[in-house]
Amino acid sequence: MKWLLPALLVVTGQSLAQENARQWLDGMSNALQSLNYDGTFVYLHDGKLESMRIVHQASEQGEQERLVSLTGSPREVLRDNKAVTCIMADSKSVTVGQSRPRPPFPVVPDDLDRLSRYYRLQELGEDRIAGHMTRVITITPKDRFRYGYRFWIDTGNYMLLKSDLTDVDGVAIEQVMFTRLDVSDQLSAVALQPSLTGDGYNWTRQGDGSLNTAARQGSPGWIVKRLPVGFQMTDFQRKRMRRGGVSAEHMVFSDGLATLSVYIEKVKSEAEAFLGLSSMGAMNAFGAVVDGYQVTVVGEVPPATVQMVAASVQQAASDS
Amino acid sequence: MKEKLHEQISALVDNELAETEQVLLSRRLAEDASLRSRLSRYQLISDSLQNHLPRKINPDFNIGVQLALQDEPAVQARSARLARLFKPVAGLAVAASVAVVAVLSLQSVRQEIPSVSPALATAPVVDELAPVDVAPLLANTSSNVSGDAQNLDIYLVNHNEFAVNRGMQGILPYVRLVGHDMNVDDKE
Repeated sequence: MKWLLPALLVVTGQSLAQENARQWLDGMSNALQSLNYDGTFVYLHDGKLESMRIVHQASEQGEQERLVSLTGSPREVLRDNKAVTCIMADSKSVTVGQSRPRPPFPVVPDDLDRLSRYYRLQELGEDRIAGHMTRVITITPKDRFRYGYRFWIDTGNYMLLKSDLTDVDGVAIEQVMFTRLDVSDQLSAVALQPSLTGDGYNWTRQGDGSLNTAARQGSPGWIVKRLPVGFQMTDFQRKRMRRGGVSAEHMVFSDGLATLSVYIEKVKSEAEAFLGLSSMGAMNAFGAVVDGYQVTVVGEVPPATVQMVAASVQQAASDS
Repeated sequence: MKEKLHEQISALVDNELAETEQVLLSRRLAEDASLRSRLSRYQLISDSLQNHLPRKINPDFNIGVQLALQDEPAVQARSARLARLFKPVAGLAVAASVAVVAVLSLQSVRQEIPSVSPALATAPVVDELAPVDVAPLLANTSSNVSGDAQNLDIYLVNHNEFAVNRGMQGILPYVRLVGHDMNVDDKE
């Protein structure tokens, strides 16, 4: 029994370290959502460096955010509690979707035990970013089906100053780092106004099915046979993805941290189908056609994960 | 293209247009008489469907609308949005930004009594909006993708809303949408 006490101390020490790391993450989530800030940051991905500006305001009416590219062709995302508007000058397109309400402090999963099964949380000490002292917190995946994170969190106001998205070996796939950040009580209204007009662009509005309570009813007509361990369905909706479009099934799976979506929609023609892998930084998508339906898996997970999930989707009736 | 604008105008009349879209639409309205005309007709149709108009309406659209607005309190409230929008436009000397402000104010001015301007007169509808080529967002970012990647954009935006709720990076999922410059990719 002599081993029991040291073992207990080790376990308790690990739990405390994890809990401590989680509290930093809680503070960071809260700061990102509740502070008013106007900052410039660099986004590093695939050997490219882009500069962007983010403006965020929180008020009684909810959050308002504006994200603008400062390098390359003009692109802008506006988000409030009603809608997300993406204006892309290079593709001359405006995509408008509905935003989903955010609970006040939703972001870090409460279920630390569940999270600890698939990720390891660690505090890595202090570091200086843009003249600010930060605490470094890491989240490392325990298998190859998900990504990890490194966060540099301002020790003064818990603002996230630098963020790495990493593979299982800790190699950064994407990096975001603030080069300028102003946190203030009140931002100018102009800072939240779009600079692109969207004139002459192709507009796509997502359908409003998700607002329809009936759309939430029922169960999926499709099943996903293979998911990484720990992923559970957290949302299911049947909705039109665009006005006038056909109804699509949307299943959302999460392990408490990573999220992936499975969309199933009747395909108009095989020629129009989206097939194969597509990557946008750490966001991966895989398209396949199954029984005349377009199956698309999208998520902030490795390419192998979206591919595996997409290949395992089948109609519920055919599951025997 | 035009259909989408028309849908937006319809949504505006039904008070279902998001504020960010209102800003963009108002700029189009400020510049385009045919769209303004369409907006006024949609408003009239909407009021008619909801039995907000008097039983008799003057065949002269413009005068008829004005009389209706003057005589019908319910319409006065509902049309405050329109009046606020068109007043600066009718003046022709006021910058489009005023119209932007007007649209943004739509939600809060509904109870005001409007003064209707001649801008409500119907104008001939001109098909001046040519379709544009749409390059899908992901067209050049992937190695072996095929097919209609435009649909994928919709999935990505939709998925981001779920990822934002569950992930830890706030708006940062959208960084990917903004941060991928097609022109840069093209040059490679």
